Amino acid sequence: MASLPRKLELFYDVLSPYSWLGFEILCRYRNFWNIDLQLHPTLIAGIMKDSGNKPPALVPRRGKYLSKDLQRLGNFYQVPIQIPKDFLFVMLEKGSLTAMRFLTAVNMECPEMLERVSRELWMRIWSRDEDITEPQSILAAAKKAGLFEDQAKGLLERCSTEEVKKKLRETTETACKYGAFGLPMVVVHVDNKSHMLFGSDRMELLAHLLERRLKKKKTQPVKNYDHAPPAPPIVLCLNILTQRHKYRLLSRHHYSLLPLWGGGESP
Amino acid sequence: MASLPRKLELFYDVLSPYSWLGFEVLCRYQNIWNISLKLRPSFLAGIMRDSGNLRPVFVPRKKKYLKDELQYLAEFYQVPLVIPRDLRGVVIDKGSLDAMRFLSSVEIKNPEMLEKVSRELWMRIWSRDEDITEPQSIQIAAEKAGFSEEQAKGLLERCSTEEVKEKLRETTDTACKYGAFGLPTVLFHMDDKSHILFGSDRLELLAHLLGEQWLGPVPSTVKSKLSAI
Repeated sequence: MASLPRKLELFYDVLSPYSWLGFEILCRYRNFWNIDLQLHPTLIAGIMKDSGNKPPALVPRRGKYLSKDLQRLGNFYQVPIQIPKDFLFVMLEKGSLTAMRFLTAVNMECPEMLERVSRELWMRIWSRDEDITEPQSILAAAKKAGLFEDQAKGLLERCSTEEVKKKLRETTETACKYGAFGLPMVVVHVDNKSHMLFGSDRMELLAHLLERRLKKKKTQPVKNYDHAPPAPPIVLCLNILTQRHKYRLLSRHHYSLLPLWGGGESP
Repeated sequence: MASLPRKLELFYDVLSPYSWLGFEVLCRYQNIWNISLKLRPSFLAGIMRDSGNLRPVFVPRKKKYLKDELQYLAEFYQVPLVIPRDLRGVVIDKGSLDAMRFLSSVEIKNPEMLEKVSRELWMRIWSRDEDITEPQSIQIAAEKAGFSEEQAKGLLERCSTEEVKEKLRETTDTACKYGAFGLPTVLFHMDDKSHILFGSDRLELLAHLLGEQWLGPVPSTVKSKLSAI
């Protein structure tokens, strides 16, 4: 008998480029893994404030590194990330409050559209260096995602209601309760326990945890640290062939699920 | 014709648990990838100071997360990492200056022993919650790695020389020059450009950039393959 899908919650903000990477990876893998992926639009600014953490880009060397890191990761994960010209201004001054309220409204009214609208907002800010703070910017993203103009306008109006503001606040507080100090954050529920992982660079660990069903195991010490001498090529090839299937997770050859970028269409 | 191995420099500090993870993975891959791995003992506190970066333990939620995450990573990476009881005391108050000077001393005189001694120091601080600041602690680690008592004493004495202090300073400055703001940092050169990658979680990306295969943090070795036959 097949086991029930494991609930996996992704807390994200479109202001966060690493959230985009984590989001795309999980959207691709929701069809491969036995998971129930739940998307939670969250406000990263709220999380930073509540945890006392600071955006990494504020450290000059880190900001410089981040730029290169994102370009490389975008290329590797095949997500068309382009750093905005004035990315400190975009991230720290302009922010994402209205956009995340909008996604909250989408999640409440038509959750099946959440993935597409989120992606279109990311494409604006983190691929085409376009605004996501003005109402017309958000409308443009919503329409591109497939919402009708009336529907999109209605959702935009709902953004200023207490109901939507409260929902975004609550989601952000939930993330904080799980221990968030940044985004993206994944919470996976297994065997009546929840486990939190931070960052888009924990997907391989997540796959490992899902596979091992998060059993509490005493760490097996690596007894022998003698590393093998260089293997003959044929053995290396065999190693690679047998192990490679386990590590398809992050192999670029398996990123063929998304069409070539440009149209912003999701599969 | 086989191409020359690509030089990879790993800047690390035994104070950093993530450095240990990166170190073990790269040591495993040094016989699988076409690389020449050069270990560069560096001073984490110096890099933090120079870059203005903040140690994660200073953000309460990050500190809590670190403790949880390292347990998952220990199992996944198959490295016997155990959080010290007094984490802040160990990583902030006690530090690693003498240990890293010792490793710089080893780097100058016996670089072939650097891997083993580094590992023994990590095992002390990050597996058995033992001291690495007292001379006798470092002596024990060195002897466990294979040095004789005399050799270890000699290397320890050299720690207070200007040569060794300068070596550690230079290595740390080099890491900073290339843009390091934390450890572990991997440096490699490609197409006449230098590249750094920060963190033990960029090794799959490193494989991709080098054109090598990523087989996870615990690639099978020849030994385990042969024993399976």
